[in-house]
Amino acid sequence: MSVVELHDVVKRYESGAEIIDALKGVDFSADRGEMVTVTGPSGSGKSTMLNMIGLLDTPTAGVVCLDGRHVTDFSEDERTEERRSELGFVFQDFHLLPMLTAVENVELPSMWDTSVDRRDRAIDLLRRVGLGDRLTHTPDELSGGQKQRVAIARSLINEPDILLADEPTGNLDQDTGATILDEMSRLKDEENIAIIAITHDEQLVEYADRVVRLVDGVIRT
Amino acid sequence: MAWRNLGRNRLRTALAALGIVIGVVAICSLGMATVALEQQATSQLGDLTNEVTVSAGADSDTDGVTQEQVEEIRSIVTDAQVVPQKTNATTLEARNGAEARVSVTGVTEASALYDLTEGEAPDRLQSGALISADTADRLGLEMGDPIEYDGQLYRVQGFIQSEQSFGFGGGDLVIPVSGLSEQTYYDTVTIIASDGEAATAIGERLDTRFNTEDDERLSVTTFGNQAQVGGFLDTLSLALMGIGGISLVVASVAILNVMLMSTVERRGEIGVLRAVGIRRGEVLRMILTEAALLGAIGGLIGTIVSFTVGMILFHLITGDATGAFGWASLRYLVYGFGFAVVASVLSGIYPAWKAANDSPVEALRG
Ligand SMILES: Nc1ncnc2c1ncn2[C@@H]1O[C@H](COP(=O)(O)OP(=O)(O)OP(=O)(O)O)[C@@H](O)[C@H]1O
Ligand SMILES: [Mg+2]
Repeated sequence: MSVVELHDVVKRYESGAEIIDALKGVDFSADRGEMVTVTGPSGSGKSTMLNMIGLLDTPTAGVVCLDGRHVTDFSEDERTEERRSELGFVFQDFHLLPMLTAVENVELPSMWDTSVDRRDRAIDLLRRVGLGDRLTHTPDELSGGQKQRVAIARSLINEPDILLADEPTGNLDQDTGATILDEMSRLKDEENIAIIAITHDEQLVEYADRVVRLVDGVIRT
Repeated sequence: MAWRNLGRNRLRTALAALGIVIGVVAICSLGMATVALEQQATSQLGDLTNEVTVSAGADSDTDGVTQEQVEEIRSIVTDAQVVPQKTNATTLEARNGAEARVSVTGVTEASALYDLTEGEAPDRLQSGALISADTADRLGLEMGDPIEYDGQLYRVQGFIQSEQSFGFGGGDLVIPVSGLSEQTYYDTVTIIASDGEAATAIGERLDTRFNTEDDERLSVTTFGNQAQVGGFLDTLSLALMGIGGISLVVASVAILNVMLMSTVERRGEIGVLRAVGIRRGEVLRMILTEAALLGAIGGLIGTIVSFTVGMILFHLITGDATGAFGWASLRYLVYGFGFAVVASVLSGIYPAWKAANDSPVEALRG
C-alpha cells in the first residue's frame, strides 16, 4: 500500500482580489523504498504540493492519506504529532539551529521528549552520513554539504515513513549535490522510507526511481 | 536551550537585562528610601510619639488641670507614668550681668522628662534645680550654684541636654513643683506610655472619660494628632511607589519589546521547530523560559545593585547603613526580584503565543 496518497488535491490562495490555484487537482502516491523527484518550472506548485504531504498546510479540496489514514481533517496538534513521528523534512537552506551542535541539531525533533533518549541514534545517523568526526561542531563550523547531511540525519531521527526534501541541493554545487542525493538514496533503502524530493537540476533526476513533472498546478507524465 | 538562545544575542540580552535591572533598582531603592525616611522620622520624633499631653480643655471651669483631675487620671492610667507640671517663665540674671529668658517647669518626677548631660535627674525633685546646659553655660552656672526663683534659692543639680532636633528655643529651668505653689492648677500633665500605640489608647480613654461631644474639660493631645507626620510619610511613600510603578511599566515594555524582537528574528527557526514536530506548547514554554531566565538574571543583578544603593541611602538618611538589613527594607528586594520574573514572563506571553501559533509554512518562507 502507498505510504502517501493525494487524491484530487486543490490548493487555492486568495490574497485580496487575486485568486491563485497553486494546485488544480493533483493525484499522487509514493511507496516505501521509493525515491520520487518532483520537477517543474518555478511557480508550478511543487512546494505547495510538498507542504500538503508534509501536513504543513491544508488543501482547499481533495484528500491526503498517510499510510492509508485520512489526515485531511486533522487538527493542528494532530498534524504536529504526525510530523514528529512519520515525516522528516530537509530544506533548501538547511535550517539548522545555530547555537546547537551537530548532534543536538539531529536530536532536535525529540529534544522535548523526555521519554526517549535519541542521543545514540543521532550519533549513529551522523556516522552514517560521514560526519562521525564533526559531532560537536556548530553549523557555522560546517560546510554547506555537511550542513545538509546534518539536516538529513535530523529528518531521520524519529524513524519516519516519509522524507520530504524541497530543493535539498539548491544551495550546493553539483558534485556536493550529487553526493547528497546519493546519500539520501542509500538511506532510503536502509531505512525503507519513501523520499519525495523537489529539484530543478535535471542532472540529479538520475538518482530517482520515478520523476513527476508538475506544470501550472497539474501533473504531466 | 532557552539559556543558549539568550546567549546568542548577548548585546540584546544585556540591554533587556539592563532594562529590568533599572526597573528593579528603581522599585527597590525607592522602597528602601521610604523605609529609611520612616525610620529616621520615628527616631527623631520618638520622644514625642509615646507621650500624651493633657491640659485644660476649652470648656473647663479652671485655667488648668486640678489636683482631683490628676488623681482621676492616675486612677485610669495605671500602665504609664503620669507627670503633672506647672509652668511659668522668668528671666534669670547672672552675677556677671548676663541674662537668659527661661521657661520654668515645676515638676516632681523630673527623671521621666529630662535627659541630663551632667548630674542625675531625681525621680522626686524636692529641693534642687535642673537647667538647660546651654543656658547654664551662658550664665556661667556650675553644679551646686544657687538659682533664685520667686524668692527661693535652688542649687543646680544637673544640666539638661539641649534639644537638637526640635530646638524649642529658650532654656529650661526645672524646679520642684512646690516652687510654683501660687499656681493652684497644673498647666500640663504628661503621660509617658510604653509606645505610640499605648499612648493613643490612653489618649482615647482619657478623652471619653473627661469629655463629651460639646463639653471638653480636658484637652488631650497625642502624637497622632499632634503632627500629621505619619500621614505625610504615607503620602510620600505612595508618591515614591508611584514613581517605582512607572519605572516598572517602562521595564515591562522594554522586556516585551525585546521578546517580540527576538521571536520575530527567529521566526524561521521557530517555523523549523514546528515543522519537525515540536508542539505549540513546547515552543511557548521555551520562549517563556527564556523570558523568565532573562527576568531572573536582571532581577538578580538589580537586587544586588539595589542592596548597595539601599545601604548608601540608609547611610545618608539615617546615618546607619546596617538599617538596610532590616526586613522592612529587605522585603523590597524580594518584591523587586519577584516583579522582574513576573513582569518578564507576562511580557513574554504575547510574543510566545504569537510565535507558537505562527503558520510554519509562512515562517519558513521568511
Ligand atoms: N501563501 C501564498 N499566498 C499566495 N500565493 C501563494 C502562496 N504560496 C504560494 N503561492 C503561489 O502559488 C504558486 C505555487 O507556488 P509554489 O511555491 O508551490 O511554487 P514552486 O513550484 O515551489 O516554485 P519554485 O520552484 O520557485 O520554488 C505560485 O504562483 C505562488 O505565487
Ligand atoms: Mg518551491
